[in-house]
Amino acid sequence: MTLDQKRMIVASLSFLFLAALLIVAWVEGGKQRLQPKPKPVVGAESGKCLQCHEQKTPVIAEQWKDSRHAQLGVSCYECHRAGEGDRDAFLHEGKTIATVVSPADCGSCHQDLAREFEHSHHSKAAQFIGSLDNVLGEVVEGPLAAANGCWQCHGSTLAFAKEADGSIRRDKTGKPLLDPMTWPNTGIGRVNLDGSRGACSACHSRHAFKKSVARQPEVCGKCHMGPDHPQIEIYEESKHGIAFRTRIAEMNLDSPSWVLGEDYTAAPTCASCHMSATRNQPVTHDVGARISWTLRPVVSKRLENWEKRRESMKDVCHTCHAPDFVAAFYTTFDATVDMWNRKFALPAQKVMDALRARGRLTPTPFDEELEWSFYRLWHHEGRRARMGVSMQGPDYTQWHGFFEVAERFYFDFIPKAREAAHGDPEVARVIKASLDSPEHAWLKGMSPEERARIDAFYRERYGAEAAR
Amino acid sequence: MTTAAPPPPDLEPVTPHGGRPLPPARTRFGRWLQRRVPVDLEALRYYSNEPVPNHLKHWWWCLGGTPAMLFTVQAATGILLSFYYVPDPSQAYESVRRVSEVVPFGWFLRSIHRWSSNLMIAAVILHMMRVFFTGAYRKPRELNWMIGIGLLGTTFFFGFTGYSLVYEQLSYWGATVAGNLTEAVPLIGTYLARLLRGGEMIGDNTLTRFFILHIGILPALITALLAGHILLFRLHGVTEFEFESARLRGPEEKKTFPFFPDHVMTELIIGIGLAFLLTCLAVIFPAGLAEKANPLLTPAHIKPEWYFFWTFRWLKLTGLTLAVLSIGFFGFLALVWPFIDQAIRRRRPASEISVKIGLAAVCALLVLTVWEAVATH
Repeated sequence: MTLDQKRMIVASLSFLFLAALLIVAWVEGGKQRLQPKPKPVVGAESGKCLQCHEQKTPVIAEQWKDSRHAQLGVSCYECHRAGEGDRDAFLHEGKTIATVVSPADCGSCHQDLAREFEHSHHSKAAQFIGSLDNVLGEVVEGPLAAANGCWQCHGSTLAFAKEADGSIRRDKTGKPLLDPMTWPNTGIGRVNLDGSRGACSACHSRHAFKKSVARQPEVCGKCHMGPDHPQIEIYEESKHGIAFRTRIAEMNLDSPSWVLGEDYTAAPTCASCHMSATRNQPVTHDVGARISWTLRPVVSKRLENWEKRRESMKDVCHTCHAPDFVAAFYTTFDATVDMWNRKFALPAQKVMDALRARGRLTPTPFDEELEWSFYRLWHHEGRRARMGVSMQGPDYTQWHGFFEVAERFYFDFIPKAREAAHGDPEVARVIKASLDSPEHAWLKGMSPEERARIDAFYRERYGAEAAR
Repeated sequence: MTTAAPPPPDLEPVTPHGGRPLPPARTRFGRWLQRRVPVDLEALRYYSNEPVPNHLKHWWWCLGGTPAMLFTVQAATGILLSFYYVPDPSQAYESVRRVSEVVPFGWFLRSIHRWSSNLMIAAVILHMMRVFFTGAYRKPRELNWMIGIGLLGTTFFFGFTGYSLVYEQLSYWGATVAGNLTEAVPLIGTYLARLLRGGEMIGDNTLTRFFILHIGILPALITALLAGHILLFRLHGVTEFEFESARLRGPEEKKTFPFFPDHVMTELIIGIGLAFLLTCLAVIFPAGLAEKANPLLTPAHIKPEWYFFWTFRWLKLTGLTLAVLSIGFFGFLALVWPFIDQAIRRRRPASEISVKIGLAAVCALLVLTVWEAVATH
């Protein structure tokens, strides 16, 4: 090859290289152009809403712009639109709208999800009204405790504010005002004015409606916490919660698809086990569909179709754990719930029934100390123990659970029951029969051999001083 | 008696330490510079422009310069990538993702770095094969062959530490296997593996060590080896071969051609061609990012980069200890091959056994590599 030919090749290659670099710059430019957020698509009816609310409530407007709804053109009017005959409809800037968006409104697009939710225990959460919990909140503690406490999770029954003559109170524009005792409220079982039940925004916080929010344990923890149902604390104590907190960056929480074992493997959240898709089952908004026991009442019961429900939950477990592991867990879980029922719940319930049957308790709930003792036993400590074991929280199962159950039962409930019986032989017989089972045999005292064995253990482990 | 006036100070000849006086430069600035950098330009011109044997007109004789060019590409892109890389297990993967997705032109730099590393390894292997099969390692070039083996090993180590830094599944589990292999080295394996990993297992220390190796120790090592390699190559000159075609053309044809500009132009063509090829590869097949390293999730199929396929297949065939010992043995054979070859040729001067052994080795490596590539376990 001559030198001139080589020069030609160098020139040609240089030209090609330059062209390739221009393509690189073009690709990079394209990447930069993709960086800004996609522009929100404002529905034809919502332009004016947005224009005004960007000034008046800018956070709501910005949150909506950041939502998937905004990308799809689902804007203000599409959700807040109301029919002329709707009870809560009002004319606002030329449009008939309603303030509260109910699951019926969301269901006009998300039909399947709304249907699943309608069948769920969540949608019936406000039906606790009439229960002992409700008496405690509304009557014993006071209505405002219920409105700002209980109903904020369970859901209120929305009602209009009333004038003295019984008519609906309205502001100067004619907008009907809601009763402040019932609204604002995003309780999961809220009873809406259109008759539907629930509030999608309980989990899918408005107005960004991020899936990632609903997948976070904290969203469930707003209500599933505290002394009577500390699921979020139990979760945080469990290996599942520890894995989530440690590896939250790997949870892929924003992913449109969120299939356990495919889209994420770092840890399960509440949603993973109770609602989200696995490789074998789709996502469900019926939150109890995979729960086989009810751990809520005094005596725990297996739910209707519990075998099917359990298989659904086991399918989730099997994504991470071997069948033997899952089977062993369920064996001890079932046995622990049975132990609670047999050892504490049924005996305590029989004692309370006997006291009532013999007229030793007044018909008014919570007016006697024994009733508070019984309530704490099953509603607080007993639930903690059962829920602790159901979610692998060892401390909630034992120290916050069965330890406090035992203390309450033996040294508070039974003594108070004896006191309330005032020597009634029938009640005394029931108490004696309740404590006669082998589980309570330890009360009769330890044998000298058993005592000596414990002393020997302490001497060996902690020294002679400790044994005393 | 009159004496001639001394020349102005800046026209006095400059004599480099221990050398001959240099002819003064023509310009004033040239003379100023010559005093401060007393280089004999004539000698430099002579040494850097020696005639090049005609066989270097064949393209495959230019493979030696290719890895050196790719190394400069690696150095330049590597420095830029290290501005953003964080050698910490909790941040490494995210920092690579950031380079690939957020940093302007980051994807391009990373893709060039990745492709260039692959091409560099391929070029080194091809260069070594050319040297081996043409017997260019023979006396007096045995030491340069040994330096070449060192360069090959360093290049492999560069590749290994490089893909380990990304901290994807391949990085973690590849490093785990490499750690196990190191542990199997007799006597010192345990200590060597601990030194490499900074502990009993892959952890925080490992990534820091790999990073220091990749951006500090290995570049220094390869620069020193490369300098020695080029120095010896320059001192010995290019191995001279006579091709059949040249002999037929007769003795009157010149056996050499000028280094500058002819050979430089050839190298320039290769250089720009490589730059073009790398750019195209980076745009068409940009470096991706696999799943993040998960110490709890052993992948069903652990595969290293393609240039380690043969070691993996060999490991599966022979077991850990035998694989380590045999690879060490083959490595040693390759290192001292010029002396073995010399001993063979002393007894049988016309022996072509080296070529046959070389062919067998290349075939064996190819078979193992393809086997591992197509195997599912």
